[in-house]
Order: sequence, then structure tokens, then C-alpha cells
Amino acid sequence: MAQTNFVAVAADDWYQRRRQDDEGEFFRKVADQGPRKGQGGSTRQGIYVFSAGGILLGYRNHHDPDVMRQFLLDSLKNWQKLPARERIPRAVQVGDVGKVDRQYHRELPKGGAIVNVYARILDRTADGEFCPGTCPFPGGDRSSHDHLWLLPEDINALVPAGPKVGDRVNVPERLAVRIGRFHLVDNTRGEPPAWSRGQMREGKLHAVVDSVKGDLVTLKLDGAYLLTTQAGPQSDRGFEARFLGCIAVNTATRSLERFDAVAVGDHWGQGPFTRGARPGRTPLGVAFALSRGDAAADRVPPQAAREWQAYVQAER
Amino acid sequence: MKSFVGLGIAVLAWPAAAAAQPPALDQAQFTKLLAVIKPDQQTEKWQQIPWSSSLWEARRQAAREGKPILLWEMDGHPLGCV
Repeated sequence: MAQTNFVAVAADDWYQRRRQDDEGEFFRKVADQGPRKGQGGSTRQGIYVFSAGGILLGYRNHHDPDVMRQFLLDSLKNWQKLPARERIPRAVQVGDVGKVDRQYHRELPKGGAIVNVYARILDRTADGEFCPGTCPFPGGDRSSHDHLWLLPEDINALVPAGPKVGDRVNVPERLAVRIGRFHLVDNTRGEPPAWSRGQMREGKLHAVVDSVKGDLVTLKLDGAYLLTTQAGPQSDRGFEARFLGCIAVNTATRSLERFDAVAVGDHWGQGPFTRGARPGRTPLGVAFALSRGDAAADRVPPQAAREWQAYVQAER
Repeated sequence: MKSFVGLGIAVLAWPAAAAAQPPALDQAQFTKLLAVIKPDQQTEKWQQIPWSSSLWEARRQAAREGKPILLWEMDGHPLGCV
């Protein structure tokens, strides 16, 4: 039903409720017709159905599929009640978007790269192999999604000059810290706090040239991270992980052609919005894979990019 | 640019934790872990819906096609946060 009867769109309310531009004003005009009017800057999150002209047809925020199915059916009935001037094709004219509030709009800089990031709780089989983990928290056993953005200068720094197998390549500190602070997090049950610069107790990333085939240079990444909320073994939240990866860069186009990596280790504790963690230290895995950026979901900015300067200059 | 190669940031690191550092991964573990951690497409049915990530573009499409807009609006982007 969502595919055929609606135009489906997803958005991060943190940006939408703040942006002072055509899109933000249109969204708030719709949301103000519903129960969440954003008093005091509060969230307007939920599922909305409305017309292109901005008439709200329904609002719910519920996890039960049956409730949401009925909500969609009721919203379609409300849609059919609209006058023709509100619902027949091309009856409503929508022009190009005007001003864009750059403070609350994120775009990958030209020449940058998107890396999909997935986290999943893990268990060990009887023979010690990692396997998908289980937990009582609904959906907590599924992979989470986020994106790592590499800026053109990050990629340039990974392109070695005159590479030979065995050469060491500098990994920019800002990139190694960005990965640690913002992407080695347990976001399997919701939005976790990122690590502060001081909470990154240890972070090592080594890159070594593994092969050179024409313009394509493959690098092996190896490293270790220790991230904890407090110094000392009694820290209430932490992640101690090993990191292994393989990336490839094209020295002619200075583009990233491959970024496969995993971080795995013991995670413990939870954040204010990620309650329901398994007790004690339990295995968590984070996987990285280069994205072509074809799907809208791939182009969603990194969760931590809300604080843009902190994200791109993570080492400061 | 600061180099991070071989640089262990050991701010307030403590010996007990360092001693318990997990072992390095080998290539076989790496390949298996990538497969284990990545999402199972069978459980990712929401990806079958052609979501747009631009409300304005969705609005233009809805006007053009004569359809209502379904907006999934969350604190944390539904397509890429958790």
C-alpha cells in the first residue's frame, strides 16, 4: 500500500523542526494541524499523511503494524474526501525549492565517499565463532544502519605517492577519531551518545600497502580502540574493539574504490535512549562497506553530522 | 596533517584494560564477520518501499501524480540512524 498509494518520504525531525526554509516551513505548517506542535522546540516525530497542498489527513506514532495499516486506510479515505483541486494530478502546483537553510541541511561534499555502517550484537557459538546475538529488546538483535562520510581531503590523504607493497600510509587522525567517536557505538536499540574526544582512551589505525595494480592501490587497515565513559575498569559504558579492514584507492582519480572493515569486541553499558542493553560485557560488531549512494537511504547524512564541525574535525 | 600511524592515544589508559585487549582479527574472521554483521535482506522489508529523503521532492512528485504523501518523521533519520 505504501508503495502504490502514497509518495513515501522519510526525514530526521531534528533538522526538519529547526530549518528556516521552504521545506521546514511547509513541514511545520502540516505538523501544526496535528497533535505535535513542537512547543518549546520539542519533537514533532511521528507518521504523517497529507496532501501536496499541505492538508493533514492523518497522524499516528505507533509500532503495531495492524494499527498503522488501519491508519493508512483511514488516511486514504480522508484523501478521497478532498476536493478534486487538492488531489487530481497536477492540480496543485509545486515549484522548485527556494532558499535552503544550510545550517540544517547536510550534503556530502563533491569528491567525498559514503560508507554504510552496520552494528549488530553478537554471540559466540560452541566452537567460539561469532554469530548474530539475541536479546529480549524488540528489534535489538537486528543490524543498525548509519553512514560514515569521508571528505575529499580524507581520501586524498589515503592515496600514497609511488606506492610499494609493504609501505605504511598515514591514516588521517581526524578520520581515525571520527570512526571511533561516532561510528563505534551501540545503536542497535536507538540513538546512542557519541563518545567525546576524552572518552576515546585509545585509538590506533595502521595502513599498509597490500597490492598495487595499475592505478589501484589496496591498503590493509589494522587497529584497536578503547572507548569508555570514565577512566578505569569500572566505567559504566565502553567498547573495546579490534579493527581490521581493506580499502582501495585509485591514484589517478583519487577516489575510494573499496572500504570493507569490521570492528569487533566487548561492549558494555547503555545510553539514556538505548535502554535494554544486555548485562555485562558482550560482543558487538560494526561493519563498514562502501556505498554507491544510489538509494535515498544511502545518502542520509551520518547521525553524528548534526554537529557538523565536531564530525569533520573529530580530532579536536 | 597529524599522522595517526603507530600513534596510540593512551589518554588515561590503564594497564588492566590494555592487558585484556581483544586479540587481532585474521582474514578468515574478517570475512565471516562482515557477513554476520550486515543486515539480512529478509528482515529489511522497509527497503522495498521507494523512500525519498527530500520532503520537497516528495511534495512535487505527489502533486504530479495525484497521491497523498506518507511522511516517516523521527528524531534520528528512519533510513539511517539506528
